Amino acid sequence: MKPILFATGLVVVFSLSGCKLVKTESATEAAADPIATLVSKTFEAKLVPALSEKAIDVAVLRSAVTAGLDDAGSKYGLRVGGAGGGWNFAVKGKGKVVVENRDTKAAVAEVDVDGDGKSDVILQLGPVVKGTALRDVTPLYDFSTFRDQIEYARLGRALNDRAVSTVPADGSMKGKTVQFLGATVIRSAGEKPLVTPVSIETAP
Amino acid sequence: MNISRRLLVSACALALSGFVPGFAMAAGTIAIITPSHDNPFFKAEADGAAAKAKALGYETMVLVHNDDANKQNELFDSAIAAGVKAIILDNAGADASVAAVKKAKDKGIPSFLIDREITASGVAVSQIVSNNYQGAQLGGEEFVKLMGEKGNYAELVGKESDTNAGIRSQGYHDVIDQYSSMKMVARQTANWSQTEAYTVMESILQAHPDIKGVISGNDTMAMGAYAALEAAGRKDVIVVGFDGSNDVRDSILKGGIKATVLQPAYQQAQLAVEQADKFIKTGATGVEEKQLMDCILVNKDNASKLETFALKP
Repeated sequence: MKPILFATGLVVVFSLSGCKLVKTESATEAAADPIATLVSKTFEAKLVPALSEKAIDVAVLRSAVTAGLDDAGSKYGLRVGGAGGGWNFAVKGKGKVVVENRDTKAAVAEVDVDGDGKSDVILQLGPVVKGTALRDVTPLYDFSTFRDQIEYARLGRALNDRAVSTVPADGSMKGKTVQFLGATVIRSAGEKPLVTPVSIETAP
Repeated sequence: MNISRRLLVSACALALSGFVPGFAMAAGTIAIITPSHDNPFFKAEADGAAAKAKALGYETMVLVHNDDANKQNELFDSAIAAGVKAIILDNAGADASVAAVKKAKDKGIPSFLIDREITASGVAVSQIVSNNYQGAQLGGEEFVKLMGEKGNYAELVGKESDTNAGIRSQGYHDVIDQYSSMKMVARQTANWSQTEAYTVMESILQAHPDIKGVISGNDTMAMGAYAALEAAGRKDVIVVGFDGSNDVRDSILKGGIKATVLQPAYQQAQLAVEQADKFIKTGATGVEEKQLMDCILVNKDNASKLETFALKP
């Protein structure tokens, strides 16, 4: 009973605040989930182009972060979340998949971008995706325009779900060279980037 | 009525005492309104705000609303009557607080919210919100990891009128429910209370002796639950809390409770006062109204650095 009530509550919440998110909408769209509408209107049209434009190579990111996280962040990234939050970066890269682990719900592929055979970056493949880097990496989605943090969190989740809905099939990546584009959040200099990819292309 | 009159009197006294001796230097009074200081989290907030306000040359007027929106409303009247320059508020209800904050705004007194948000924007000047959802996801991820991704568990939920009780629960479940071998056998409220959590945990243990973990909406309930588990000889049960209190830190260091999630309460309150100061002096804070502050996972690896809702570097 509880979950149903809760779900109903959410529907009410989102339909009430829908006007804030989407200013011009037809009657059909107004009835739809405003978060889903926002994602479908912005993901391909705005977020992916913004990522392509801002993305820095993983190797560039790594050396910049080693030299100083805050400097790297103010040069290439965007910070949200105060002291506990990290710097969000748009990243791209190309390399060989050395690990493809689909045994956990939070599936990942680890990629070697510098050819030393060791993993340099981790790509999240879902269905469980951690973090909100895609939401936070650009100024596209402003928290002030959302009713509350639940609604804002739902956007983060919806963007993640959309991102991993197109990842390559299970087992198709190990040993292959891939090219990826995505977003990551870095909280400390020694951290291996955990990337939420918006695209992963496998070379033949 | 009696109470509010007494408050009004003391508010005036406070304002006066701030006014008379410090005529030349006092920059005015900042009101700091939070829930009861019985919970050390709210005390840390009030202390953090008061320390920063004093450092910036303000007098302070520290008040508690005990999560009662009517009382909060009376406190706002007192603060407005005292002519405070700004109000720092951890509010008593996302919907119910909008009117009080608006009332102050209409009288030209800006409010700066900490910890919890209200459901209207453009009323408060700043809303520095703890990212409870993100924090709950961290706690949920750690809980799933500690449980080995499987087993029976119970959830202790906070006071239902508090938005954060729902937000944290949802954050937990959005992570945990993705693991089909994690089975929730009990879900009960203990109203943020340690003693209530003790009793609730005792009855959950009787009904479900096979329980392997307890995830709690805050630290005081986690403390109560762990005490009940300890009394029943069930120290094997994994307990995860939320807030980052010193009590839970000590329990983690002794191998009791396994993890908690720190909300940077002290720092957040100080930031709110800095923004209030800037607003008083320049008419703008220079930042967005709603600001999310991330929470930090605390477990045995970093618990020793935790002190009064802040992580030492």
